[in-house]
Amino acid sequence: MSTHTYKKFENAESGELPDRMTIYQDCMSEFNESPINSKRCRLLISRLLRLLAQGETFPESEATALFFSISKLFQHQNDSLRQAVYLAIKELSGISQDVLMATSSIMKDIQNGSELVKPNAIRSLTAVLDESTAFSAERLLKSALVSRHPSISSAALCTSYNLLPIAEVTVKRFANETQEAVVDLKSFPHKNLVGEYYPNSTFITQYHALGLLYQLKKNDKMALLKMVRQFSNNNTLKNQLAKIELVKLVNELINKDSQLFVDFQSLLMEWLSNKHESVQLETAKLITNFATHNSRLISSELFASAVTTLQSLLTVPRVSAKFAALRILNRISMISPEKIVVCNPELESLINDPNRNISTYAITTLLKTGTAKNITSLISTITKFIHDVSDDFKIIIIDAVRTLSLNFPNEWKTILNFLIDVLKNGEGGFKFKNNIVEALIDMVTFVPQAKEMALENLCDFIEDCEFNEILARILHLLGKEGPSTSNPSLYVRHIYNRVVLENAIIRSAAVVSLSKFALTKNDPSLSDSIISLLRRIANDKDDEVRDRATIALKFIESAKKDTSSEAQTLLQSNYSFDFNALESKLNTYISSNTDSFKTPFDVTSIRKLTEGDIKALDLKRKQDKFTKGEFETSVESTPGMIDDNLISKRADSSFAGPSAHDHQQDLLATKYAEDLMSIEQIKEFGPLVNSSQIVALTESEAEFVVRGVKHLFANNVVFQFNITNTLTDTALDNVTVTCTPEVEPSELEELFTIPIDRLLPSAEAACYVAFKKTEDMVMESFLTNLMFTTKEVNPETNEPFEGDEGFQDEYDIDSIFLNAGDYIKSSFVGDFTKAFDELPNEEVAVYNIKENISLQELVDRLVVNTSCLPLENTQYAPSDSNSHTVKLFGQSASKGTKIALIVKLIKTSKGIAIKAQGRAEDATLCADLVNGLM
Amino acid sequence: MGNFFSSMFDRLWGVNKELRMLILGLDGAGKTTILYRLQIGEVVTTKPTIGFNVETLTYKNLKLNVWDLGGQTSIRPYWRCYYADTAAVIFVVDSTDRDRMSTASKELHLMLQEEELQDAALLVFANKQDQPGALSASEVSKELNLVELKDRNWSIVASSAIKGEGITEGLDWLIDVIKEEQL
Repeated sequence: MSTHTYKKFENAESGELPDRMTIYQDCMSEFNESPINSKRCRLLISRLLRLLAQGETFPESEATALFFSISKLFQHQNDSLRQAVYLAIKELSGISQDVLMATSSIMKDIQNGSELVKPNAIRSLTAVLDESTAFSAERLLKSALVSRHPSISSAALCTSYNLLPIAEVTVKRFANETQEAVVDLKSFPHKNLVGEYYPNSTFITQYHALGLLYQLKKNDKMALLKMVRQFSNNNTLKNQLAKIELVKLVNELINKDSQLFVDFQSLLMEWLSNKHESVQLETAKLITNFATHNSRLISSELFASAVTTLQSLLTVPRVSAKFAALRILNRISMISPEKIVVCNPELESLINDPNRNISTYAITTLLKTGTAKNITSLISTITKFIHDVSDDFKIIIIDAVRTLSLNFPNEWKTILNFLIDVLKNGEGGFKFKNNIVEALIDMVTFVPQAKEMALENLCDFIEDCEFNEILARILHLLGKEGPSTSNPSLYVRHIYNRVVLENAIIRSAAVVSLSKFALTKNDPSLSDSIISLLRRIANDKDDEVRDRATIALKFIESAKKDTSSEAQTLLQSNYSFDFNALESKLNTYISSNTDSFKTPFDVTSIRKLTEGDIKALDLKRKQDKFTKGEFETSVESTPGMIDDNLISKRADSSFAGPSAHDHQQDLLATKYAEDLMSIEQIKEFGPLVNSSQIVALTESEAEFVVRGVKHLFANNVVFQFNITNTLTDTALDNVTVTCTPEVEPSELEELFTIPIDRLLPSAEAACYVAFKKTEDMVMESFLTNLMFTTKEVNPETNEPFEGDEGFQDEYDIDSIFLNAGDYIKSSFVGDFTKAFDELPNEEVAVYNIKENISLQELVDRLVVNTSCLPLENTQYAPSDSNSHTVKLFGQSASKGTKIALIVKLIKTSKGIAIKAQGRAEDATLCADLVNGLM
Repeated sequence: MGNFFSSMFDRLWGVNKELRMLILGLDGAGKTTILYRLQIGEVVTTKPTIGFNVETLTYKNLKLNVWDLGGQTSIRPYWRCYYADTAAVIFVVDSTDRDRMSTASKELHLMLQEEELQDAALLVFANKQDQPGALSASEVSKELNLVELKDRNWSIVASSAIKGEGITEGLDWLIDVIKEEQL
């Protein structure tokens, strides 16, 4: 090898990767050599590993050949070579076949090898074992688990942990050894070699053992409780990570059963002053997270000490601890900012922290704890600061400011000025600018006072904007909002400038936007100018622009002749389709093409959303984001494996647009509606008016899990019961749900039931019960019962045994209620107070709730029961006050009439008093809703 | 200079060269027991080999690199991955297992057809002679159709790995053949 190639391949700093084929051939020839040169082989393996670590991969045949030649190195007894071989086996096991062949050799090393290679050998077992071979390694693993040597024991614990999903039966038998490994404090045998400076053990085995023990016992609540009790006292755990694991375990327990929290209070208090900062942090996180859902169960002293702990962590010199504490505080600030106001002095001193991550978080937290009073001063602090930070932090700050604008609509001027300043003067990439524009769009949509000023400034901005996407968005917004402003001609000038100056993409967006001004009512003279502008554009050199201009001209012409024409709606569309439904429909249309698209696509079956609906959905998503933020953390703190579903939920949490979770929900709703409408008998009921959310009618771990959806038609109601059979060996035949009205005589007349013919084990299917109702709102509750015939299933055919008559059986499920909320859809209004005062019919009702629940729980229940949208950020009840007012807005699902509710809640020692004041266009709806709140 | 001569002599007598040998055969024939009988001279408790065992041992001044490959049906296809550079194959047969003699014969002949093993000597151990009802060496030879083998040095030896009988005799023959061939 010449010096040249040597440099090229071996210099790790150069960042240049060795050639894949060269390595492959070198390996093949060197490893098959006899006798083996261990030093050269080790070097080669390290190069191979570097290649793999950089993401290079080998085709399966080559990887397998590599694996077999590496397996030949087992003939050499050099320990260092052996370690390298194990690493290579682990890496190759993913891409090569037949890794099983190394099993015997590895097991021999575990039995007789030196202490140096044993841990590596044990760890590589994970890669080669399968369910049947794991059994033969059982004895080896067991003896390694109880080894006095910490590395060997740790390796065995990790291997068992990773083998658990592969060979559950075998690993389940390790419980005793694992338990022993947790309490056993293992230290390295050669004390004198290590020297005084290094501790002679980190006791990391405890962490690994605890992790495995949790996996083995995670379904046994009592065992977990015992674990916490046993390991939490007297310094049983020396390892920091193990202690954190224990905190997470407590978190898991109380999340499953919040009543347990009381028992842990003193323990948590103790942990808050643990000598390890990470334990303090984890405990504080647990307490504050738990408090958001169960504030009633948590004593205020405990919460206060959690905040104090976090507060003191803000002043430690270690950056990571500071950052973690800030993150937790930031999360609390989203839900109950008033609780962490005490930390404001520390937060303010962190604004100028040299670490930008910390300063950014400090500012965003301050923005949230900010009250209407100090917003102005905060904004001026950020203004000085924002131009110095990187784009990522700018985006975080913009997001915080955006939330602020939704929470404090009255402070719009300061916020708007700030946003405009950063938009015009800030340096930044597309994402940053897009975020500002989005924030401005939010303000235009949700803060009506700010609309004109924001629009004017956006107009200025597009005069000099380099991003096509942003330009197109702004043009669309101008087209949507511009015509209804007091001075539409202003916008026309700006838009037309775009047509003159920009590329084809922008020009076509501008044409659509212009055409919307033609029919504006605020300035009728505009119409002629628009037409002449469009005529000019119709000669554009780009065909798309020409097409759009021509079609817009045609529309305007016909709309002018006849104001009720279709052209009018096409020009100024006041609804859009439910995009999720549209997408899935289009997909099915394209994939099920039978007649080369002769039948046109049918759009009538897709839900149309009016602008109010869209705004309501949008706002709801933004509000949900906070609650989901908490959800993420509870996922992250569960020890052990996380299933894919949750990961996908976590992946998408960007502010804009629906998250994956929402998307799934929407799709599910669409699917239910489609299933329903494909049933002949139900089709006759006419169009579906409204579907309720899915309500659980059984515990989620019951034998039969039943969830109900209420579908509303003009003169009918259909209950859909989705039943999941969780039994493994029993099929259910002829499954029906009987609904008995609680109060006789019922206003609903039962028409028919569509049973499930056969529900196989672990299958899900829907059963429908249909009723006839009058056109009025009918509210009733039904006692429900699941009726079915059980039949044992033949495990071979997965069908019931022939001739099995089965047993008639029934199963109680929760009652299903048809309440006023089912007739209502949530809706958005910019100025709630004004809207409320304008509505004609008023109704007032007073309730007294005796249950011991917190205000927040009651608010949540109100939102669900009424199906209305909480406005002005009233969906969060303050935890430090005994009263709260919720503002709800919605509209009738069938008629579209508006309804607004102001609900005052006062908590006393006797319970919670509710005064609901409703106003609506429809007097009966109002009365029904107000009187049927609970 | 001295080094040079010693390495030349080594090469002449084949001391430094390692000889690769494979121990093959159906599962449960006693391959792993034979390997460790050769290495440490004792009977070890074994369990079915998943993969292979490899040991280096010195026998009559020769360094032997002995590979014992698992005999289970699932592992047999991988034997071929270890054929390269093999000086000799030791095929172990369970002499009491009359039912599977034909399987053993088939595997043996299939293996010997491989290009890479054309020059390898073959030693067959008719193992488990200590058991009642074991076939004799000549009977095993007939069952395995050994007479059909042309152009190959082969021999069959009755053995009992447990008692240690026949193993050395077999190996002595093998070493002689290899020395003769290589020198």
